[in-house]
Amino acid sequence: MRQLPSTEATGLPPGSNRGIPAKRWLVNPVLVAFLLAGALFVVGQVLSPGFLSYSQILNVLRVASFLGIVAAGQTLVVLAGGEGIDLSVGAVMSLAAVMTAHITLARDALLLRALFEVILAGLILGSINGLGIAYLRIPPLVMTLGMAGVVQGLTLVYTQGQPKGRAAPLLNEIVTHPWVMGIPGILFIWMLLAVAMAVLLSHTSFGRRLYAVGANRVAAALSGIQVSKMIVAVYALSGVFAALAGYLFVGYTTTVFLDIGGDYVLRSVAAVVVGGTSLAGGTGSYTGSVAGAVVLTVLVAILTTLRMGAAGRQVIHGLVLILLLAAYGRQRRLRQ
Amino acid sequence: MALNGANFACAPGEVHALLGANGSGKSTLAKIITGVVAPDAGEIRVDGQTVTVSGPADMYRLGIASVYQELSLIPQLSVAENILLGHEATRACLIDNRAIWAQAARLLEHFSRSLGRSLPIHAVVEELSPAEQQLVEIAKALSRSPRLLILDEATASLHSREVEALFELVRGLKDKGCTVIFISHRMEEVFRLCDRATVLRNGQTVATVDLKTTSPDELLQLMVGETERPERVHKEVSPGRVVLKVEKLRAGRVLREVSFTVRAGEVVGLGGLQGQGQSELLKAVFGAYPLESGLIEIEGRRARIRRPADAIRAGVVLVPGNRAHEGLCLPRSTFENTTLPSLEHRSRCGLLSASRERRAANEVIQRLEVKVADIYQPVSTLSGGNQQKVVIGKWLLNNPKVLLMDDPTKGVDVRTRLELYRVIKELCSRDVGVLINSTDNAELLAVCDRVLVLYEGQIVDELTGDDLNEANLVAAGLRMTASAHNSTRGETTWGE
Repeated sequence: MRQLPSTEATGLPPGSNRGIPAKRWLVNPVLVAFLLAGALFVVGQVLSPGFLSYSQILNVLRVASFLGIVAAGQTLVVLAGGEGIDLSVGAVMSLAAVMTAHITLARDALLLRALFEVILAGLILGSINGLGIAYLRIPPLVMTLGMAGVVQGLTLVYTQGQPKGRAAPLLNEIVTHPWVMGIPGILFIWMLLAVAMAVLLSHTSFGRRLYAVGANRVAAALSGIQVSKMIVAVYALSGVFAALAGYLFVGYTTTVFLDIGGDYVLRSVAAVVVGGTSLAGGTGSYTGSVAGAVVLTVLVAILTTLRMGAAGRQVIHGLVLILLLAAYGRQRRLRQ
Repeated sequence: MALNGANFACAPGEVHALLGANGSGKSTLAKIITGVVAPDAGEIRVDGQTVTVSGPADMYRLGIASVYQELSLIPQLSVAENILLGHEATRACLIDNRAIWAQAARLLEHFSRSLGRSLPIHAVVEELSPAEQQLVEIAKALSRSPRLLILDEATASLHSREVEALFELVRGLKDKGCTVIFISHRMEEVFRLCDRATVLRNGQTVATVDLKTTSPDELLQLMVGETERPERVHKEVSPGRVVLKVEKLRAGRVLREVSFTVRAGEVVGLGGLQGQGQSELLKAVFGAYPLESGLIEIEGRRARIRRPADAIRAGVVLVPGNRAHEGLCLPRSTFENTTLPSLEHRSRCGLLSASRERRAANEVIQRLEVKVADIYQPVSTLSGGNQQKVVIGKWLLNNPKVLLMDDPTKGVDVRTRLELYRVIKELCSRDVGVLINSTDNAELLAVCDRVLVLYEGQIVDELTGDDLNEANLVAAGLRMTASAHNSTRGETTWGE
């Protein structure tokens, strides 16, 4: 038996597949996603010089961070398999954003309280998703889509149709202002989250069990894993991440509107898939989803710099998502 | 290779039995006739003409219909819709419900008459009892007006009165010139119903005999053949204290009052024909099959086992029967599969140490001599035998007291099989009690100290010492000794 290089020695980010022989790197989906992101940056530079400047890259990454945070929860849900998908992330994110603005009303002192309440809301809504899916056996697509509708209604009731308040200055500072070398705080938060997710997935019992549940529920259950509890946990975490993204997003936009997170539903799924996580569950990593979030954000940035109208941008964006998902679906079939 | 040189012929107006021990190929033969399985070589002749049967359409065209033990009904459709599924009566291109109801009622009339109660043709199939569903399945086959009807364990879920009704029906069909192929584990039924029997052994036809002039002992001889006792896996230890005690386990018709014990260092086998409740018994002890009642004790202490996690905590582990579906997370690595069930023993606050995990996995891999190039590669890249070692090996880190194994050497090559026997022996020397189900009698003879023979969810015999031989195993599995000596009704039937 060959002794393998340890995680540290491969120089790969934790959470990516370890010990892959050199020729297999070309089919490593995480690497492919990062290369794709790099290629898109170059394309942007060709179309519009200055695209590849330090500040512009930071700007793209800052926008990508919110998608990245939502995609963290989506990654867990998809990894858990059983046709797992969370379509309520957008609505939860919107509710969280509206709540944040409403609670703080531009006062820094109330930021912690807002964070606590928003996270609690995400946890409860996500847990209800998980309970419905694990114990009432409602298909994830139906459960989370229904939950999205319910949460949208709750948001309307909460705001009475008129969201009020704005971001606390401190929140705006944390998210947008540069900390070190021009890097804004949100990117540090995202990096911290990425490290935490990598540790969670690769170096905890929870992560190992999650992969097992996603790969084969029957075998996981017969190995003593309580599958239903795992499912509740991942949907609860997805709710928490969506709420956190909504909270931080207020710091970026400073004002809120009702469907502020609506865009993030399909894009979070796309980021996960582009990052190489199988929609069948059981294989993938958050590092991939990070790359996926960057790819999708660069794409939008390119369309914006082309001065394309909002309508055209949406059409192209939608078409590219379909193309990407089709390409990755094909690849999965080939691998099997 | 399930079949190798099987020949078989039956005449019009004949009820012909297919007999054989586990894995002799009777179901495969039935599946070839119905076109479910394609033969590698050989031919099927109907009325002297060579035909190809490549699916249900061909089968029905040739006048063949089959009743399977695993029902082919659609649970959400009504009885009438199921019976005529695929050849519904139509009127002006639309389904003619009245005609369908009339046809269904006519097909079920026989059962209604002899059972004294009518089967509701409008009822949804999933609301019927298993026995009623079986009758609907039979009516469905009859709706094709077959010239050849195959009944594969069609009586397994029927009660005695329903069996009588079916037998009457079969005799009626026979008088009309229909041929019936009958596969059943109930020998008494075979003797009562069938004219001739073809005996299969290891995929070959051994003989076709007239059942009127053949005794049960002669049949048994044909099924078992000339066998020498396989070499036993030698063990140094003698069984110690009782580690597993099971009392009066019940689960519907699948397990009926099953009681037994397993001692430390002892290998107890579960024998009998396939599907008599062996797999369900193992799963029930492991908390993966719902029980109605019963008591399980581990090392003298009552264990409440509601789910596999409870069993594992109590020291009971299961090597399930279907490695790909139940045993392994195929896309995950050998490393992860090996360490999965014992993570909590090594984690600190949920965190795992990469080096400690790797040491644990390597320990198991070396102990079982798993041949693996790279433990971080998906376990699906391993050979079948090595995969099976992983399924067993993942439990070693839990230090189990009781090891339950469901057909652990199915589809495993001979060398790996011997290695697995060595593993069982090694575990016994560490005072583990082993309960093993096997469809291979030679395996039970090779590794077991004692074999419990199951028949329709009950332990009907226990073989040990010199009584533990192939002939006794096959006979007990078919309840042959019992039916031959006790059933006077059976004898009069043969004499007719």
